Amino acid sequence: MQAKLERLPFGVGQLTPKYLTFVMGMLVLLAIGLLSYGRQLSEGHIITGLRDIGSMGGATWGLYIVFLIYFVGVSFAGITIAAMIRLLDVHYLKPISRIAELITVTALILAGLCILPDLGQPLRGITNLFRYARPQSPFFGTFTLVVSGYFFASLVYLYLASRPDAATCAQVPSRLQGLHRLWAAGYRGTPAEQHRRKVASFWLAIAILPLLVTAHSTLGFVFGLQVGRPGWHSALQAPGFVVMAGVSGVGLVILVAALFRRLYGAETRLDDRIFRWLGNLLMVLVLAYLYFMVVEWLTGAYEGHQHELKLTKALLGGDFASTYWLAVICLVVPLAILFGQWVRNQFSLTQLVVAGALVNVAAIAKRYLLVVPSQTHGTLLPYGTGSYSPTSVEYAVVLGVIALGCLIFAIFVKVFPVIDLTDGAE
Amino acid sequence: MPRYGMVIDLDRCTGCRACMAACKVENNTPEGSFWMYVFRFEEGEYPNTRIWFMPRPCMHCDNAPCAKVCPVGARYKREDGIVATDWDRCIGCRYCEVACPYSVNYFNWRDPEENQYVNWKDPELEALSGGVIPPYKNPDLDRPCGPEKRHIAGASHVEGVIEKCTFCVHRVEAGKTTACAANCPEHAIIFGDLDDPASEPSQKLQRKSSFRLLEEAGTHPRVQYVGGTPHGHGWRQIQPAGKRS
Amino acid sequence: MTRGKLAVSMVLGGFFLQALSYFFLAAPLGIPTGVEYSNPRLPFAPAIFIAGVMLVFIAAIVYELLPDRDGGE
Ligand code: SF4
Ligand code: SF4
Repeated sequence: MQAKLERLPFGVGQLTPKYLTFVMGMLVLLAIGLLSYGRQLSEGHIITGLRDIGSMGGATWGLYIVFLIYFVGVSFAGITIAAMIRLLDVHYLKPISRIAELITVTALILAGLCILPDLGQPLRGITNLFRYARPQSPFFGTFTLVVSGYFFASLVYLYLASRPDAATCAQVPSRLQGLHRLWAAGYRGTPAEQHRRKVASFWLAIAILPLLVTAHSTLGFVFGLQVGRPGWHSALQAPGFVVMAGVSGVGLVILVAALFRRLYGAETRLDDRIFRWLGNLLMVLVLAYLYFMVVEWLTGAYEGHQHELKLTKALLGGDFASTYWLAVICLVVPLAILFGQWVRNQFSLTQLVVAGALVNVAAIAKRYLLVVPSQTHGTLLPYGTGSYSPTSVEYAVVLGVIALGCLIFAIFVKVFPVIDLTDGAE
Repeated sequence: MPRYGMVIDLDRCTGCRACMAACKVENNTPEGSFWMYVFRFEEGEYPNTRIWFMPRPCMHCDNAPCAKVCPVGARYKREDGIVATDWDRCIGCRYCEVACPYSVNYFNWRDPEENQYVNWKDPELEALSGGVIPPYKNPDLDRPCGPEKRHIAGASHVEGVIEKCTFCVHRVEAGKTTACAANCPEHAIIFGDLDDPASEPSQKLQRKSSFRLLEEAGTHPRVQYVGGTPHGHGWRQIQPAGKRS
Repeated sequence: MTRGKLAVSMVLGGFFLQALSYFFLAAPLGIPTGVEYSNPRLPFAPAIFIAGVMLVFIAAIVYELLPDRDGGE
């Protein structure tokens, strides 16, 4: 029994002390997050750093919204990569597709969980959205399209794409055999079934791409349609969102894939070709985003409208300068790394991982710079400059949410192979 | 159906902030939130300075960004021109707050009992008051408003819900004017039916030239200012209300 | 063949529900001028939209998992 258990690939079903320590650590973080959220529920949002815009001189959307956008952005990567593998028929990329899809599903769960602590009435939030949601509000797009539609789509995608592997695993006797059998749902790999699978995933991929663009654009519209906030009202907001989503998401896929390659010694499955491809994709996306950033910067500085000007000043040389230039550095350095690799045709996984980590720092910083300064420094009536600094409660809740994401990953890895078993050629 | 609006005469306003106090008394708003707020501006270099004042209620926009973005329709426009907030439906997302160009929304950051200028849940205070209805609560005002029968005004506030100037809809429906207009010692705030050419605010608008705030935002405010100019570059705000701890 | 037809009709039905809910059953679009802009025209219309989204993607599962009737077993 024991010998055969080990035949389940990539450590599925095996619990090592290291793994348990990791899970314990994440559980502790999650518990701290939950406790903080409990405190916020009983004492009110007064214990966060959020305050009213205007005469109270604060920001009313803070860290929760920043991470909501960040997570929705990250979720972009998985499903795009999976769909691209399908549509462009890049077989050698197949081994990372499950990692990418899992990132999508997890990130969407986390995004949903980031909305809840932001709401003043979380219970009403859940019920009233089903009852009263208005299509006119960009939030309708965020909640129904992104969270329900997109989440559901990627779940279906993840499930269907994993059936053959489940069937493979179900042949190995183990404690998880029953689950794998259920998961495979009778998949036997007959030609008819393979054909159906091909057709279904092709059309799913086609259906998901437009959904993807709409979903991420609506999130951009949440900000882009607001005339009342300097720095938000811009037609670039929606495309900028899609590109930044790609940057952070691809960066995270690189990080996670590299981690699993190291953990499971899967150098042959997750080979250098995959990482090179990811690296090049990331390079193009970062380049595009930097272009957006320059355009944004020029418009703000050139237009000379007093409010835009004040905001641009605060970003480039004022209260937010350190965050802003951190974001710029965290985009330019990865670009230099990736460009160097591409030009010299060399490849180093370590450098790629550094680039992946940096762009994620940049993504969080940029999301912060989008959400906060327009509220504290962007009032159209002369209220004066406000300020916002997150409190320990907000940090704890966000960390708890991230820990939950790690836990979802940790659990999934132990019940199912996270790297695709079957080759692209079916 | 009347369509209400407000005309504020900046020539008359002395910056006494009686309207702010009247609003607080009428609506029992929590600490730090000013449904009515009066800017005090200063212009020029000493000794050639000039000061002037500008009250700022909610503009009750005809093309209200806040009502457009509310995901659940808790913020809505009424046929009589008032932009109302349903305190029983609002989920507290504060989207209306970021969407409003005039920054007039205030959130209930904590339990209203603790949110007044004193903490009414303080045991010491409870011993003194003996559990009577605290003066900031007025059950008489807590009835549903309008033909739609929604909880949009009154004196008991709800934690985790957004609120803003209601144009004193509970008073208006009872045939009275708003608290700020009733209490302004200079009669600088005039409230009434803008569709009726004989009403006092309409008369005022015919006599004096008027402007509206942030016209370029396309919000079509129902609050109009006469006897002054919109604030420009050189204005500084003096004695702003501070940030609350 | 029927499998394909079923899936396609589920997809079409799903999109139909979405469009129906978005344009005709949920709260009206346009500049809000009255109370009716804040209420869905049919109660729980947004739930219909979400059901539509789900239907579209469940079609894929149905397409793949529907057991063969014509002697496939
Ligand atoms: S002033 Fe602000 S809160 Fe009032 S109606 Fe206009 S947008 Fe809405
Ligand atoms: S805070 Fe309330 S009123 Fe404002 S947009 Fe959100 S749900 Fe609507």
